Amino acid sequence: MLMPPFELHKPKSVEEACNLAAELLESGQEFDWIAGGTDLIPNYKWHINTKPHVISLAGIDGVSDISMTEIGCMARLHDIAEGGNAHPLIAEAASKVASSLIRRNATLGGNLCLDTRCFWFNQAEEWRSSIDWCHKCDCGTGADCRVIPNQNELCVATYQGDMAPNLMVLDATAHLIGPNGERSMPLHEFYQLDGMTRNVLEPGEFMLKITFPEDVGNWVGSYRKLRIRDSWDFPEAGAAAAWKKGDRSTLRVATTALESIPRRHDEEVANSNGDVKTICDAIYDSTKPVNNTALPPRYRRNMIKVLVKRACEE
Amino acid sequence: MRGDFLSGGYKQQPGSGGNSIRKDGKRVAGKQKFAPPGSGGSDPVMKPRDLDFIPEMVGGNEKQPAGAHIHDRARTGTIVGKPTTLVDANAKVTGQAWYGDDVRLPNEIIGRIVRSPHHYAKVVSIDTSKAEKLPGVLAIATGEDAPNSFGVLPVTKDEHAMAVEKVRHVGDLVACVAAIDEATAREAAALIDVEYEVLDSIHDMRKGLEDVDEPIHWRGKYHVGTTNVQKRVFQEFGDRSMIEDPNAMYHGKWKFMGVNHGFTEPHAVVAHWDSNGRLQLYTPQQVPHYAHRALATVLDVPMHQVNVIRTFVGGGFGGKSDPFPHEMCAAILARKAGRPVRITFDREEVFWVNRGRHPSHIEVQMYADEEARISGFDIDALIDGGGFASFGHVTSYYNGVLATAPYELGSFHYTGARVWTNKPASGAMRGHGAVNTRCAVEVGLDDMAEQLQVDPIDLRLANLLPPHSRTISGFRITSNGMRQALQKVREGSDWDNKFRKLPLGKGIGIGCGFFISGSGLPIHWDPNKFPHATVHLQIDMDGGVTVHTGAADIGQGSTTAVAQVVAEVLALPIEMIHVRSHESDTSPVDLGSYSSRVTFMNANAAIRAALEIKEKLLNAAWDTLGYHPDTLVLNDRRIYYKHDPAIGMSYLEALHKAQEDKGALISSGAYRSPPMGGVHKGAAAGLAPAYSFSAYVAEVEVDVETGMIKCTDVWAAHDCGKALNPLAVEGQIIGSCHMGLGQVLTEQMVYGRTGHLQNPNLLEYKIPSVHEMPNVTPIIIESCDPEGPFGAKEAGEGPLLPILPAVVNAVYDAIGIRINDLPLTPDKVWAAIAKKMKVDGIEDPSSLPVPRLDFSELQSKLAKRAANHEIRDKRRQTTEDTHAYVNGVLFGFDPNVPLEEQVDGWKSADKPEPEQLAELGLAGKAWLKDEQRHMGGEN
Repeated sequence: MLMPPFELHKPKSVEEACNLAAELLESGQEFDWIAGGTDLIPNYKWHINTKPHVISLAGIDGVSDISMTEIGCMARLHDIAEGGNAHPLIAEAASKVASSLIRRNATLGGNLCLDTRCFWFNQAEEWRSSIDWCHKCDCGTGADCRVIPNQNELCVATYQGDMAPNLMVLDATAHLIGPNGERSMPLHEFYQLDGMTRNVLEPGEFMLKITFPEDVGNWVGSYRKLRIRDSWDFPEAGAAAAWKKGDRSTLRVATTALESIPRRHDEEVANSNGDVKTICDAIYDSTKPVNNTALPPRYRRNMIKVLVKRACEE
Repeated sequence: MRGDFLSGGYKQQPGSGGNSIRKDGKRVAGKQKFAPPGSGGSDPVMKPRDLDFIPEMVGGNEKQPAGAHIHDRARTGTIVGKPTTLVDANAKVTGQAWYGDDVRLPNEIIGRIVRSPHHYAKVVSIDTSKAEKLPGVLAIATGEDAPNSFGVLPVTKDEHAMAVEKVRHVGDLVACVAAIDEATAREAAALIDVEYEVLDSIHDMRKGLEDVDEPIHWRGKYHVGTTNVQKRVFQEFGDRSMIEDPNAMYHGKWKFMGVNHGFTEPHAVVAHWDSNGRLQLYTPQQVPHYAHRALATVLDVPMHQVNVIRTFVGGGFGGKSDPFPHEMCAAILARKAGRPVRITFDREEVFWVNRGRHPSHIEVQMYADEEARISGFDIDALIDGGGFASFGHVTSYYNGVLATAPYELGSFHYTGARVWTNKPASGAMRGHGAVNTRCAVEVGLDDMAEQLQVDPIDLRLANLLPPHSRTISGFRITSNGMRQALQKVREGSDWDNKFRKLPLGKGIGIGCGFFISGSGLPIHWDPNKFPHATVHLQIDMDGGVTVHTGAADIGQGSTTAVAQVVAEVLALPIEMIHVRSHESDTSPVDLGSYSSRVTFMNANAAIRAALEIKEKLLNAAWDTLGYHPDTLVLNDRRIYYKHDPAIGMSYLEALHKAQEDKGALISSGAYRSPPMGGVHKGAAAGLAPAYSFSAYVAEVEVDVETGMIKCTDVWAAHDCGKALNPLAVEGQIIGSCHMGLGQVLTEQMVYGRTGHLQNPNLLEYKIPSVHEMPNVTPIIIESCDPEGPFGAKEAGEGPLLPILPAVVNAVYDAIGIRINDLPLTPDKVWAAIAKKMKVDGIEDPSSLPVPRLDFSELQSKLAKRAANHEIRDKRRQTTEDTHAYVNGVLFGFDPNVPLEEQVDGWKSADKPEPEQLAELGLAGKAWLKDEQRHMGGEN
């Protein structure tokens, strides 16, 4: 399996990275960011949406710090899980991502910006040609979505990151930077439908760091992940819950791997009077997984009730 | 001085003694020392005989509950029965093993295959002109370059190097191209324009039974109607009236998804036509000899013009035992380009070439009579062959006939059919053909035990065929360790305190297995009486033993097994045995690593070759020592008089004596299985010189809210006759357990809505990880097979069988639900739980009822019968009792009179009677059509 050729750029600072991006944009050249590469490289090997330029963030100093209130985008998941500096919920979530080998390389930023996944899409080039391509990587054919045919507007590929819902329930803020400067927003506003848009990142922008409220240390919670194997597998569904120690009224719940974006379920929680079963049912009603991962959508949808219930257990 | 001890005795002129260097420092002609020839290892001192590993029948301490064995006298206590590191382990752990893609030849170029994007289509035209013009492209080939067909079985040669007329599945080969590098080869492949005429494809195997306009293959006068039935089987034995009015009955309709071998190394091949115009083909093959034959056919060259070089094999499991089209492609491209061509598969291509276990619909009906004897098995197996025949002819039989033991049956009825569909071809995979039916049958026994209110282990123990008996289908059972296996796992797992006593969500289950140890008839049996395995030995003056064998070590340790038996017979350290098995130029023909035949057949051949050398050595010692060989002992590089070890000589001295006037000692040993079995059509399928038996107990935890199953513990007993290398046997048991666990819990080849294989990669094809592995306690049972090498039988495939039913039965014990649809993925388990809750009106899954067992009166009867049978079996095993025993004795028949003469209606049929046609099962429907020749077509 051969990767298509690309030019790799290795900026040493955030500023240099932004300048590089600006230059490429100006000259109309497409590029991808690469952090740990555990998501991008497999896709490149499958010749999925490859670009002639790749800018690596690995050589930039000062973007991999881990503390209770701040984590740099280049922090490796292994260090988050094992380093003892991150919030316990974040460490737990990081420890459940993929396999120990992948966690050594994979980064927080990469996991949050993970490309959406779909079994019609995450396939080798020859395979995709045999289905006449799909909407998410149509190779110029204007191909239809293969999950929900007869529409070519929306991409329903599934976001299967583990970290996002956990950061959301701890009220994390995402800090982005690009040629046009820095901006930040609550992480749950970072994601944007659909499976191709994925998030609010503008061309040339990348995620710099994640910050948490000062009192995050007073919050507790847990993350429940549905997967067939306890290693390697992306979540088939995931639920995170957190609350301020001793104050269940502060409960927040977020889910992942059910739709094209992870979601925080503030409305469902607010309307529940704190009853977990009501929350579970409301989230069940509001999520509509589709058939594009290993397990059938009906099962995944039903399991979200169990996962949320278990995540909310004290 | 140690150094002199080793080399002192060896001068160019023996007997001259003294200095070989003159006082003036010059050498004395003819008197200088040889380089030390090495007496075998650095230890000059002979180790004492290891009596613990010498059978008691020949004066050692090794217990022989099964009695004497023909190879007892060949035992020297050297290495057989001792845990031995595989001889190629160093190469593998240090990365020096050379697998298919490690071969690098000067000037090699890269081949790439153009594959079909359609399920089923006619190839109208192929335009290679654009690709030809691409700089760097050196050769292009299409189906026209290789019109000869091939296939692993001589009766079903239905494959071509590349499509000659039609493509039969997505990924089928259409053309191939070789270029200076991979990027160019890929680019060129994309430039080849193929025009297709798309045909209606078939994906549901049940549709394969119907007449269609354009069957996937055409078999001429043997074609069944105009269907896609590739092979149909009907077998009926025994008295069908016995199943009327049963005391218990099981009826299960099973669905099994297809599974792939999932070996680590993708297929890879390097082809090179050397300066003399001979093809040197490097390939990780399990069966180099069949690849050799197929290459000669397809390339239109005599076999001696081809040298197949088997590289190290990074896992085979049956998936590298067919001759493959990409091997032909590489050879064709290399011939055209005049340079070596390498083709390495991507994982998708591995899935497209497949040959994994057949997706199957299996219906099983089983009956037990008032004494809890098994009065009948009715099996109907429809199996999905995909686009080609591969081993399918055999698989069609195995799905039925390998269920005729280890239990004594009143009657047996089997209908099987294999159909072509537009999917990658199914083929042979570890436990070939036996796995799926075995699972259904063992679950059926569990279910019948529940109806009869008896312990399922006792039900089995009271219905076993004894050693030295014959199955209802005419298979000759020799050694049989089934009973001990069941007893050991019952004891090890604390079964009696757990079964039907564990709380909801925890369960324990039993399953058994029965498998061939080598197929009695080889696939290619020309010329007549050609041996199944041949081994050549050669020993020159250095004392090292070179073993030439064609047996393909695919990781199972066959090279080690051969080295071990030679070391054992000659009483040499295993470091002195050098196995050469890679090249067909130097290896005698061996029929390959399939059907668990290698240890049994190849080691038998090796023992014969080693015994011949041993005789030569002993005769030389006789000449020197004056003692008759019968009174001489071989032990650790020495030969000595058995009553006075001081009277003896070193192995090297004896060797050199034996070499006088002859040079290197050479010998050849061969093995061919004895004639056996019945005469009915298909009687050869499933015949083996020996059979392995196994019993597993599995313990599981089921999360009743999510349907997730976790297998926590497995007690795995396997009767391998005699563990030549217990380390390797335990490895095979644990590995089989892992592989079977994958099939029962998570692994499946998923064909989606459009018929495309959805998960052709190792992320989405869910092979269990280390986290999913239970604690496996391997238990080796040694029944000492009379014809096996030192008593050994197979251990590579049989141990896979019991894990599937053991887990399914354990899940029932845990949640009280039987699921007949494998793999038991959490969604299926959850759906089954949800359904049961709905039917039974249960709100909370934690209040699901769990099965409990109150013994009926039958239980004590069965225990008593089992106890009697245990005595019977021991007497038969040690041949104290040599009376004939055939299936049917349990039902009161006389084994000395043909059953047809005793029982009205005792049948042995290989095709259905007209009045049976109406009641045949799904696969049986294949018998509703006539063959073309009976319809007046294509005579």
